[in-house]
Amino acid sequence: MDYPIWDLFMGGGVLIGLVAITHVWVSHFAVGGGLAIAIVETLAVRRKDPALRNLAKRSSRMLILISTVFGAISGVGIWVTIGLVQPAATSSLIHNFVWGWAAEWGFFILEVATALLYYATWDKVRPRTHLLLIWLYFFAAYMSLVIIQGIISFMLTPGAWIETRSFWDAIFNPTYFPGLVMRTGICLLLAGAYMVFAAMREPDASARAQQIRLLAAFEIVGGLVAWGGYIWWESALPESVRVIFLGDSPLVVALAQTRDLALWSLAAFMVLAAFAWILPRAQRWPVALVALLAAFSFFGAQERVREGVRKPFVIRDFMFSNGVLVSDIADINQRGILAKAPWAARESDGTPVSMGRAVFRAQCQACHTVDGYLSMRDRVEAPDADTLGLILEVLHGQGEAYVSGQHATRGHIATQKLDYPTMPPLVGTAQEIEALKAYLVSLQPKPTVEASNAR
Amino acid sequence: MPANLIPALDPAALPGPPWLFHVLWVITFLIHLVFVNMVLGGSLLAALVGSGRPGAHGIRTFFVEANGWAISFAVTFGIAPLLFMQVLFGRFFYTATILLAWQWLGMLVILTLAYYLNYLAKARLAKGKGVRLILIVEAVAFVVVAGIQVAINLLHLQPGRWESVAAETSAALLDPTFVPRLLHYVLAAVAMSGVVLAFAATRQSGPTEARLDMARFGLRAAFVATTLEFAAGFWLLLALPRPVLRGFMQGGAITMLPLTAGILLGVGILAALTRITDPLTQTKDVRRAAEFLIATVVVMVLTRHQLRGVYLEPWRVGENAVVATQWGPLALFLGVFVLCVGLTVYAIVRSIKDRPGPGEPVA
Repeated sequence: MDYPIWDLFMGGGVLIGLVAITHVWVSHFAVGGGLAIAIVETLAVRRKDPALRNLAKRSSRMLILISTVFGAISGVGIWVTIGLVQPAATSSLIHNFVWGWAAEWGFFILEVATALLYYATWDKVRPRTHLLLIWLYFFAAYMSLVIIQGIISFMLTPGAWIETRSFWDAIFNPTYFPGLVMRTGICLLLAGAYMVFAAMREPDASARAQQIRLLAAFEIVGGLVAWGGYIWWESALPESVRVIFLGDSPLVVALAQTRDLALWSLAAFMVLAAFAWILPRAQRWPVALVALLAAFSFFGAQERVREGVRKPFVIRDFMFSNGVLVSDIADINQRGILAKAPWAARESDGTPVSMGRAVFRAQCQACHTVDGYLSMRDRVEAPDADTLGLILEVLHGQGEAYVSGQHATRGHIATQKLDYPTMPPLVGTAQEIEALKAYLVSLQPKPTVEASNAR
Repeated sequence: MPANLIPALDPAALPGPPWLFHVLWVITFLIHLVFVNMVLGGSLLAALVGSGRPGAHGIRTFFVEANGWAISFAVTFGIAPLLFMQVLFGRFFYTATILLAWQWLGMLVILTLAYYLNYLAKARLAKGKGVRLILIVEAVAFVVVAGIQVAINLLHLQPGRWESVAAETSAALLDPTFVPRLLHYVLAAVAMSGVVLAFAATRQSGPTEARLDMARFGLRAAFVATTLEFAAGFWLLLALPRPVLRGFMQGGAITMLPLTAGILLGVGILAALTRITDPLTQTKDVRRAAEFLIATVVVMVLTRHQLRGVYLEPWRVGENAVVATQWGPLALFLGVFVLCVGLTVYAIVRSIKDRPGPGEPVA
């Protein structure tokens, strides 16, 4: 809100989703692949099995090309994107978690170094040294996940941090462990789903079948752990979050459907994994590709749900998705949103419509575009001016509910009791809200008679 | 420009003393810059080397191989300074990146492309295929990345220019210090990569003619780049906004000593380079030139950091950040950092030293 506004036709949230989901598809393979390669090479050394060794070698090339390049840069990409779209939230997270992120960076140094060393020392060092490198790599990669999971889950369930502001309360929040279990399962299932392509390049049919069965075991175990973690994660969510996408009449149907997509995708993946385990000789790359896409679909949909159910917050119970702090509502209502949003305010020439446009850009554009994603023009098409005014009044009144704490228990707000539970309250002075109404009315289609007269 | 366009200070307390963030920022940026110099300078030299030279293949192979590591470490060590900088100056930095949002985001796409091109070049070199065009595109990509970084960096230092860039993005390039600053970086990168190439040539095995050519090419590139660096450096200094230049000069020994040391070390690099007539036998002199170069980078990073303070000083008047050090998490970071750096060093040393004897199994 204090920052310049980046106009993005698709909406900032969609861009964050695109970057984040493609990153996690790769980054979780980087973790699970590390474990799978470590196990495969350990078995190869113990059994003196050259076919398994070749599988580890081929997979390590995949790990280097996918993880250390795309994974590392897209990880920075998430950071870059959230800084552009949600700078206030990013700043808040950095202030709270800088030492956590810095610790994760320490593990990342070890992860990158051992990945490159492991790949570079094939055919050069003793097996013992080589195994040490890949096990160190897996340790570093998993520890990186152990830390970052705390920050990711904090945004949805900040837990006791709301009252204590303690780093440890923030990290070990109510969905930390369920999410960690689920992500561990996803790491394993993705390892199997990716590495099966390396296994299918094995020329010996018998060895190939053995490898495919081994990797299918990763898929099945990973799928079961991920499913268990997911169910645990749902049960750990507060009621205000559950009502958004669970139950007979969820508040956001699209998120409920996305949840269904996630679970059906996981079911399809498990069927294909079981098929590969039972009939490894029948495995073909189109089937493996469908399994990989099903894994992507499960994980991508789950990430979408996790991001979506934070509504109306970006950090639950602390900061709304438009960057307004819960603690700032009363002050902004008194001083005005444009006093806090200078970049939007400078675009106003003082007329009600231009002031309303500035108010829209300051507090609505974080989620809504005018004509693109979650189009505001579409949303204001039907209601007349009076109805629009009433809606804005109710949204403004919601701010009072937050300020008074009437639905809050130890800082956690039962948003489901509000009239618009997934929308941030409308904040600002009466003049600004009137201006916003004028701007929204200006987006409505002109009446036909008027249009005819104009002609 | 109205001071109120600068976003408010984050209401959260700083999780550690500011001096600690400054120290960590400078140290990690220094390491980042060493790798960046290798990547930028190395990719340029690999693209520029003439195919007819006896050492051409060796030069390209060296830089392509080195970049496989250096790009990864440049990205990895870029994370930490970015993190510590955001704690201290996030409100300036985020604003600059939003004003150049597509360029900032696009930089990552270009970086990814350049990284994959390097792997492509590596694979083609191994097969004896041509790589010239790939290396040229890769080098151009890294120069563009450097240009975007410089533009964002300059913009975050100067809130007075935000409105003009908000009105027209290309105004970011009109900063009089943009070209000399970019040039300063590129030349420093070429100088460093050249010396590292020469140093590597002295330690490699292989035909003497090719190694000698590699070393001479690297040293000549370093000499030319360092000579031009004097011109670029003074151009940059004189192009600084007057209040910034005045503020820097009035900083006394604290600001003038590192700058003077940097200039003198530059002279030292040139002196060391001119002493070398036969790089393969004068390995100590090559090494000394490399040491001078690293020392120059160290003091120039200090100067750069001090300059940022002078630039931002008027915009931070009245800034009074509360500090509430998170001792436990800080201890966690330090413990993890020491452990991971220790394990990394151990892994590198063991990977280099462990060579199986005849008849022993190999990984």
